[in-house]
Amino acid sequence: MNFSAQSKAFALLLSVGLVAGCSSTGGTSEEGGEYGSDVAAVDQEGGSTVYGGDDQGGVSSSAMTEEERMEARKQAEQQALREITTFYFDFDTAEIKQEARDVLVAHARFLANNPGQNVRIEGHADERGTKEYNLALGERRANAVQRFLIVNGASRGQLETVSYGEEKPAVMGSSESAWAQNRRVELVFE
Amino acid sequence: MTHRIWHKPSRTLLAATALIFFAVSAARAELLIRITEGADSAIPVAVVPFAESGQMPAGDKVSSIVQADLTMTGEFRTLPPEKMLSLPSRREEVYFRDWRLLGQRYVLVGGLSRSGDRVQARYELFDVNREERILGETAAAPASNMRSLAHHISDKVYEAITGVPGAFSTKLAYITLDTANGKPRYRLQVSDVDGKRARIRLESQEPILSPAWSPDGEKLAYVSFETGKPVIFVHELATGNRTKVADFPGLNSAPAWSDDGRSLLMTLSKDGNAEIYRMNLDTRQLTKLTNHWAIDTEPSYDATGKGIFFTSDRSGGPQIYHMDTPGAEPRRITFGSRYNARPRPDNDGNYVYYVHQRDRAFHIARTELNTGEETILTRTESDESPSVAPNGRMLIYATRQNGSNVLTVISADGGAAYSLPASEGDVREPAWGPLVR
Amino acid sequence: MRDHQREVTTTGVPPWKSPVALSVTLHLLILGIALAGWSWTSTDHEPPPRSISARLITQQEPEPSPVVEPVDQQKRDEERRAEEQRRKEEAERQRQEEEARRIAEQKRQEEEKRLQQQKEQERQEAEAKEREARKAREAEAARQKAEAEAKERARQKAEEEKRRQEEAKRKAEEEKRRQEEQRKREEAERKRQEELARQEAERKRLEAERKLREQQLEAQAEAAQRAREEEARRQREAAAAKAREAQMLSESEKYQALIRERLSQAWYPPSSATEEMTARLQITLLPTGELAGVRLVSSSGNTAFDNSALGAVRSLSRYPIPNDRDTFERYFRQFTIEFNPRRLR
Repeated sequence: MNFSAQSKAFALLLSVGLVAGCSSTGGTSEEGGEYGSDVAAVDQEGGSTVYGGDDQGGVSSSAMTEEERMEARKQAEQQALREITTFYFDFDTAEIKQEARDVLVAHARFLANNPGQNVRIEGHADERGTKEYNLALGERRANAVQRFLIVNGASRGQLETVSYGEEKPAVMGSSESAWAQNRRVELVFE
Repeated sequence: MTHRIWHKPSRTLLAATALIFFAVSAARAELLIRITEGADSAIPVAVVPFAESGQMPAGDKVSSIVQADLTMTGEFRTLPPEKMLSLPSRREEVYFRDWRLLGQRYVLVGGLSRSGDRVQARYELFDVNREERILGETAAAPASNMRSLAHHISDKVYEAITGVPGAFSTKLAYITLDTANGKPRYRLQVSDVDGKRARIRLESQEPILSPAWSPDGEKLAYVSFETGKPVIFVHELATGNRTKVADFPGLNSAPAWSDDGRSLLMTLSKDGNAEIYRMNLDTRQLTKLTNHWAIDTEPSYDATGKGIFFTSDRSGGPQIYHMDTPGAEPRRITFGSRYNARPRPDNDGNYVYYVHQRDRAFHIARTELNTGEETILTRTESDESPSVAPNGRMLIYATRQNGSNVLTVISADGGAAYSLPASEGDVREPAWGPLVR
Repeated sequence: MRDHQREVTTTGVPPWKSPVALSVTLHLLILGIALAGWSWTSTDHEPPPRSISARLITQQEPEPSPVVEPVDQQKRDEERRAEEQRRKEEAERQRQEEEARRIAEQKRQEEEKRLQQQKEQERQEAEAKEREARKAREAEAARQKAEAEAKERARQKAEEEKRRQEEAKRKAEEEKRRQEEQRKREEAERKRQEELARQEAERKRLEAERKLREQQLEAQAEAAQRAREEEARRQREAAAAKAREAQMLSESEKYQALIRERLSQAWYPPSSATEEMTARLQITLLPTGELAGVRLVSSSGNTAFDNSALGAVRSLSRYPIPNDRDTFERYFRQFTIEFNPRRLR
């Protein structure tokens, strides 16, 4: 074989390029955490982390592939779901509504992935009816949420339930709307 | 055959008939008039301001306290003193005709005399129409305790007219809620039956619920959230000492005393869901009395002291159930609506009172235990926490009035209502204390 | 990548210029760069997730400040001492009870022994009595036999006597019958004679009667006429009386209703009244309508109920009564009122 010096250099360059590409793929997803420390978390209240900024420290983001994008989107969705920590119920039931299920699943997965994370599940009821029965009803609602979380991955040791019955309404008043907002379970992350 | 003139026998016949006729008409029973209904209104009673000799302590007059007591029952209508034609204080001064003209059925007269730091009351109650004295007594009390003296007189007057002991010397326990420094302030208070002489027994920034009187009137059991979760305390009123008796995981709620004051019924969820237990207060030993996946709560012993009423939603929604003996198979009592809760039986075994939903409103209702007949007692619509007076004649409950929570007393069959003067903030969870021995 | 050493084959070029050597070198270079490249991009540990601050929903740990009652300490001590005293007395009493029980047990055993001895004695006595009774019975039997024989002999004698008497009676009767028949024959003859005479007289009499009856009928017709007129008058009077009666009754009913209404309004049955309670009072009125007297005829069994009825009756100063004196006397001078509640509320 008779290689010219030019073609050798070209082959070398390609190899370098290939190797560089391999190494950077693994780095993009993990870099965010490292570089995220430059940016303050935007909203702490929802109990979720917000990864801020589009400055990725020099790593070209245009190098993200389709599956990488999808994964990122899914993560963002889960975070958005986990911003919801209050779940509502109909009168005199502890049945978890359909729209709550996805959110609770997201929370359950999060708890499963973070075994050190504890959460207190607080059950409530609206002011109608008797106080003691409402205390038991609030507990039943909290227990329903607790069971759901366990079934979907959280462990019992992370969960604590308490019921306040009708004693701590979120909204004062004696209207249907106030009552609807008080029939709830709240997740309080500790 | 002999023929006689036959108008002779006919005359005899006529005479005989006439005799029978008169006999019958004389034997026809005298007129009988049946009265099957009485007046639908309260009995008119005149409480004449008592004569006073000596310096009387400041504060409400004894006669006005008696007047208020009798009015509260819904069974009496008292005459304002300005309408009285005279102000007698002893029998010789009572002109029954005057009181009849005023339409009064009973008149109470009396006199108070002060000696040292004691006040003596001498009083007499007269039936105006029969012109007879039906009660006469003297009673004495320290000058600092005139209200108790007045309530004692009310008890006696009530019993003389109705045959039922009065409940005016009993106490009420209840919870008030207001705000202090931007934070909620819950207070457990004990007052006279008319809301006076209220004293704070516990103050907390967390809710206090379900005060329950021990049968001797010396202790209160209640639920407090001061540790962040519901816990049952027993609080000795004379000393202020309290003991935490139930602090299990989950609920510790709805305490109710046994007749001998030595055990408490309570709702615990430590075994997975809300069930009713009995705790022996001496040994702290627990006995589980219900065993069902449903919510079982709000227990209360019945008039026999053995059976238990409670709330359970084992049939889908909360209803009142009864066990003849603790742990026996429960029998459902209420059927008339989809929400019936917090049973409170009277001491005679006649009725059980509870919260009852009708359409969208929550009323107080009662069921007659012999017949199963249910009656709604209130027209107010957000009613809670009924508590029966120990003589079974009155009921107190919490309701909303003009945007705030107040206590209302009604007669036990749903008659006249009397709202206790609202103190600060909201009032809730009234518990009627036992008769003072 | 493993080093690949091959036999160097001479190809006419110096070993370090051969294509194989070149490719190996190139591969080694690539390898080197690649390995170096790996170490540049180091794998971090996953950064720990941001610490999440919880949203406070409830106020934290408020201190309870129970208001302690000013304690009457002395009273408390006294009560405690009294309590101790009671407990001591209780213990003492129990000890005494125990002693008493033991003594009682002893006594009982002694009593049992005594009872047994007594029973034995009684049994022996019973046996002796039995023997005596048997002897007496035998003597009695012998006596009775002798009696029976005597009775039999007497009976036979009596029978013979009876037979003799009956014979004599029969003979006497026969004689009587013969005489009777004789008399009858004579009688019959006599009667036939009489009959003939009578029939003649009868014929004469009937004729006279017929004439008399004619006269009587005429008189009767007149009397009947008079009686009919009488009857008509009486009926008119009765009808008038009935109409009056009805009027009085309806009047009385009207006033009954009035009285019932007034008494209902004036009656305050006590709250403890039941449907079983019935009180009956007898009322006496004056013609002015005022109450002359009231008497409890039958009590309900409940004093408060009876008094409520009495009170109601006495509360009416004047009872509504009819103006007509007769009606008043008949119904309202004295009547009964019964108080019995139906379906209170």
